[in-house]
Amino acid sequence: MRAENVLGVGTTAVVALLVLPPLAAVAAGGTAGGFAPLHHLDIVGNTLLLAFGATAGALLIGGGLALALVRGVPGGAMLERLVVMPLYLTPLLTAIGWSWLASPHSGLINLLLRDTFGLPLTVNIVSPGGVVLVTALAATPLPFLLISDALRGIDVAMLEAARVHGAAPLLVLRRVTLPLLLPAALAAALLVMVQALGMFSVPAVLGLPAGFPVATTQIYQLLDNYPPRIGEATAWGGLLLGIAALLLLAQSALLGTRSFATITGKAFRPSTKPPRAKVLRAGFAWLYVALATVLPIAALLWAASVAFATADVRLMRFTAQHFAYVLFAYPKTWIAVGNSVLLGALTATLVSLIGVAVAWVVLRGRGRGRPVLDHLSMLPLSMPAMVFALGLLWVYVRLPLPIYGTLGILLIAYVTHYLPFGVRAASAALRQLHPELDEVARVSGATWLHAMRRISLPLLRPTVIAAWALLFVMAMQEVSSSILLYSSRSVVLSVAVFDLWENGNPSDVAALGFVQLAVGFVVVGLLLRARRDAALA
Amino acid sequence: MTVTFPVKAASAALHIEALVVAHGTTRVVHGLDIQARPGEVVTLLGPSGCGKTTTLRAIAGLETPLQGRIAIAGNTVFDAATGIDLPPERRGLSMVFQSYAIWPHMTVFDNVAFGLRARGAKRAYIADAVRHSLESVGLAQLADRPATRLSGGQQQRVALARSIACNPGVILLDEPLSNLDAQLRLAMRAEFKALQRQLGLTAIYVTHDQEEALVLSDRIVVMRDGKVEQSGTPAEIHDAPASRFVADFMGVRNLLPCRIARDGGHLLALLAGGVALPVRGPAPDSPVCIGFRPSAVVLSRDPVPGACTATLTGATYLGDTMQYELAAGPLTIHARVQARFAMAEGAAVYWSVPPEACFLVPA
Repeated sequence: MRAENVLGVGTTAVVALLVLPPLAAVAAGGTAGGFAPLHHLDIVGNTLLLAFGATAGALLIGGGLALALVRGVPGGAMLERLVVMPLYLTPLLTAIGWSWLASPHSGLINLLLRDTFGLPLTVNIVSPGGVVLVTALAATPLPFLLISDALRGIDVAMLEAARVHGAAPLLVLRRVTLPLLLPAALAAALLVMVQALGMFSVPAVLGLPAGFPVATTQIYQLLDNYPPRIGEATAWGGLLLGIAALLLLAQSALLGTRSFATITGKAFRPSTKPPRAKVLRAGFAWLYVALATVLPIAALLWAASVAFATADVRLMRFTAQHFAYVLFAYPKTWIAVGNSVLLGALTATLVSLIGVAVAWVVLRGRGRGRPVLDHLSMLPLSMPAMVFALGLLWVYVRLPLPIYGTLGILLIAYVTHYLPFGVRAASAALRQLHPELDEVARVSGATWLHAMRRISLPLLRPTVIAAWALLFVMAMQEVSSSILLYSSRSVVLSVAVFDLWENGNPSDVAALGFVQLAVGFVVVGLLLRARRDAALA
Repeated sequence: MTVTFPVKAASAALHIEALVVAHGTTRVVHGLDIQARPGEVVTLLGPSGCGKTTTLRAIAGLETPLQGRIAIAGNTVFDAATGIDLPPERRGLSMVFQSYAIWPHMTVFDNVAFGLRARGAKRAYIADAVRHSLESVGLAQLADRPATRLSGGQQQRVALARSIACNPGVILLDEPLSNLDAQLRLAMRAEFKALQRQLGLTAIYVTHDQEEALVLSDRIVVMRDGKVEQSGTPAEIHDAPASRFVADFMGVRNLLPCRIARDGGHLLALLAGGVALPVRGPAPDSPVCIGFRPSAVVLSRDPVPGACTATLTGATYLGDTMQYELAAGPLTIHARVQARFAMAEGAAVYWSVPPEACFLVPA
């Protein structure tokens, strides 16, 4: 068989083996659990409230940010980077940060309101509303990116034409801009909704104490008990899977065959309108950056370095004891750091490799199974990570493979979950490469393998390195599937943080969370630096 | 084509005074004055970067000028002095964009109806007006088709129908034919001209194509570096360019420095190498260039009284015509003649230019 065909068949086999067995297991096991969700319709309701609420919030904020930033604001380039920071930040830490900011009794904001200003006001983030809000804030970058892309693709002449033909700005927005953004918005809505359905850390941190359980926290608690009630848990997983499938159907029904390829004309030009509107738009973006990133992280840092929580500056005592505890006394820290870095690096590497292979086979291959591979590799996007982990439990507990309870099962879960990101990045890069670059090498006498090694792969390298860094940071922070699959030997940082959250001193949690952030950024910083040095040499 | 389109008794006119537009710190339009009478097509003609599109966008209200005044149908829509600046939707205009800007999420009907709906017209009137405008561009049968399923030429027609449907005071057209292939461009040009005459539309037409400008315009405004270089009827611009720039832009390839001498009652242009060409007055008092088109040059193999001698140095076959390059002493003369007048390179020829085909421009 030729090398090209080996790649096609091999890639399809690997992706199918990764994606299909856990899915089948959940689908089959979901019906075996005695329809547990039917007896807890309130939890089903909570889950849907979180999914729809967070999606509406993330779409509104993300779409608003895209509209605000696309026409240019002061400091726009920096804002665009800051706005997507939550991509690199696990919602677990955002939620913990927010609980420090606005838990009803000891939250910093409430201490300030009550003790310093003496106002009878309480901001309570430990509530259903708080869960929805923090989830929406964490999920906003995705709609922002997708809608920004769509906006940039719109020929500005279409909006100007509407103005000249008599439509005031609001009418242009309603009749032209928003309808043109609909496909991107629906795609974003689906992704966010799946993310919110499978969101574990935010409802676990901010919802459970407020009596607001959702499907994911239910799954966790069912499995955390002894004996684990895996059947019931899987029934909940089946419910999430069913909802996700319905969403997928709804999206394709709504969109139909509509796709507005409008990438024809001139791009948005900086608006010439007075600066007041620009400042207003920049202010909106800064507010988002503050709420989604700066405030919770600052609260974490503050919490990790004070002896006790107070808003009174005279009483504040700074201490290194929390950092000292998590770095030197807490037994799990260093095992977890090692595991997380190893898992992050392996996941990023494997996902990049499989991603390039899939993108190549789908975009450049000639096999007939290409659409199947394409859909298969994107499937994890429409499946909550926790559902996937459940499926893996079913599959690998039964198989006589020594994988259960090791880093191996976590690696499989991560690779599958993040595969779509790798494929998307690689296809985007491959689309930019004209096939002729590769064809001319073949015509000049190179074998397929030689052309691949000398032409295509080197050209794809910059994108792959960038994708690797993002994948590493994301995998470092994964919570939802890790929490079901870890054992004492394979504990990872995010699980250690959550464990401390449940059983430890809240200030130690903040310190460990900070360690987690730092490890991710140090590794990526070193990588980017090495890459820059290599580029300079 | 039967059109019962509601024609305004007198379409509105446009008046621009001392218009200055800046992009950042660079001024792209410096003190422009343009007038358009009702029912007139005024073309802004010039190379890319001359400020013609910027001027059009300023009229539309898509760019805010720094100084000047713009009035449409007698209503001031922009005046830097008094701070009047109506938004685009309140200027009573329509526009055909270079990229057509057909909205892909609407049907052809919805596209054409947009302006009327936005301005709150009645349903029955909208249906009527849309049908009429689609009929007048020959697309009535496509009303219900999604706008994504249109060819380039059809999109162009929809854009045109959209711009006439709302019965605007002035139609602005920004290089509307430049995205079409050559044949379709000629057809659309003729169609637009017929439609414009029929409906008595007032139009401001931006193009860099001199032929398009000559065919379509009642008046041409040649622009250069944000200023009016010359404005006049197509015949004036074509036959009597006022500057080297306009002459060059209008395809006058022979532009040669000369001195003017009097020979009895006639004027003679004395060129380098002892070449003398009779020209018509009045005699200018500053240094000049003489200009004539290649097609105005008369060639002959045999000596003709008053003709100059030259050597044929280059020949290009263009189908119907031949393009020749002649060396007359230090001068290079471009001539274009019927193809059957074929000569070999290196041949000696005699050439002359009728005085009425020559014009003088400041050097």
